[in-house]
Amino acid sequence: MSDRSLRFAVAIVALAGIAVAGYLSWAHYADSTVVCVAGGGCETVQKSKYSEMAGVPVAALGLVAYVVVLALTAWDSWIARLSAAAIALTGLLFGAYLLALQFFVIDAICVWCLANDVLIAPALAVLTALRLRQDWGQTEGSDAV
Amino acid sequence: MKPGSSNRPSGRTVVLAFAGAAAAAVALIVVALLFRSGSDAPAPSPTSGVELAGIPQDDRVLGDPAATVTMIEYSDPQCPACRSYTEDMFPTVVDEYVRPGKIKTEFRGFPFIGPDSVKALRFIYAAGLQDKLWQLQEALYRNQGGENAGWVTDELLRQVAGEIPGLDVDKLFVDAESDEIVQETESAGAAAQAAGITGTPTFLIKIGDAEPYAIQVAGVEQMAAALDDALKG
Repeated sequence: MSDRSLRFAVAIVALAGIAVAGYLSWAHYADSTVVCVAGGGCETVQKSKYSEMAGVPVAALGLVAYVVVLALTAWDSWIARLSAAAIALTGLLFGAYLLALQFFVIDAICVWCLANDVLIAPALAVLTALRLRQDWGQTEGSDAV
Repeated sequence: MKPGSSNRPSGRTVVLAFAGAAAAAVALIVVALLFRSGSDAPAPSPTSGVELAGIPQDDRVLGDPAATVTMIEYSDPQCPACRSYTEDMFPTVVDEYVRPGKIKTEFRGFPFIGPDSVKALRFIYAAGLQDKLWQLQEALYRNQGGENAGWVTDELLRQVAGEIPGLDVDKLFVDAESDEIVQETESAGAAAQAAGITGTPTFLIKIGDAEPYAIQVAGVEQMAAALDDALKG
């Protein structure tokens, strides 16, 4: 895959992340619209004590991360590519933690959170890593690590 | 673009960046675990946000018995959204609709979240026998703890009930264990489901003896609009 298409894919996935994390951040603050539904769901997860850290909703952290990654795709340099990959990796690991919380601690699954933790965060990690790898592929072996 | 050696990170930089990212994730998780306790149980609001003294109360109904419009609230004492309603909208509903005698409001339990819901509901219903149901449910929402964290303790109940003027706490504890209340609490969930209720809070409006209809309430303006509408009709 060319860097151009990879870059495009990263931007698309980051946009999807912005949409999902943006919705979840909005839902987190839109208190009065939230209803507790028998069987659990986004509301349970979003209202859980784990949905915030030090008063900041985890969804807002995700939103910031996706915005930064999107901004970094506009800046074509190895620093940008490396930073994007590092942020995506952090997001992937933190997403795995949030996923574990939903399954084992809160005992409720939120579809949009799942979309982020299972699809968007891993996709972004893979794509940003692939972009980074291209830096190496083209001059393979010429540089000692 | 053809990255040259000056246009790509050294292997060491990449390793450092990924190690940093992993460390950042671990740090985030640690911070998340440490600071979740900040919102573990929503901080109790110390004082009542609503004055109910002087408003007629008969078991589960608050307000003038002659009011034609009844707003029915299905509620789970552990539901954070019900707490939000009670803290943010209920005072307005009371001050602008119930106290002036325009509407009355009826409490119905739907204790689906867990054992703490059922226990809390038994005491709420028992308070109804002393016509203090609305004070107790409001006080319990103010002191709501984490879901199924075992927050509905006898100590908490004794404390919040003790702060309600005119409520006989010892009688409350006896009534909460009575067959009638226990049975009613146990059947409350099934009754709510039979009425088509799927979550809490759910609000229904009943005009006279007509069939109640559900209203969607996302904020106090919408609530006021729905009530005004019912009063017109």
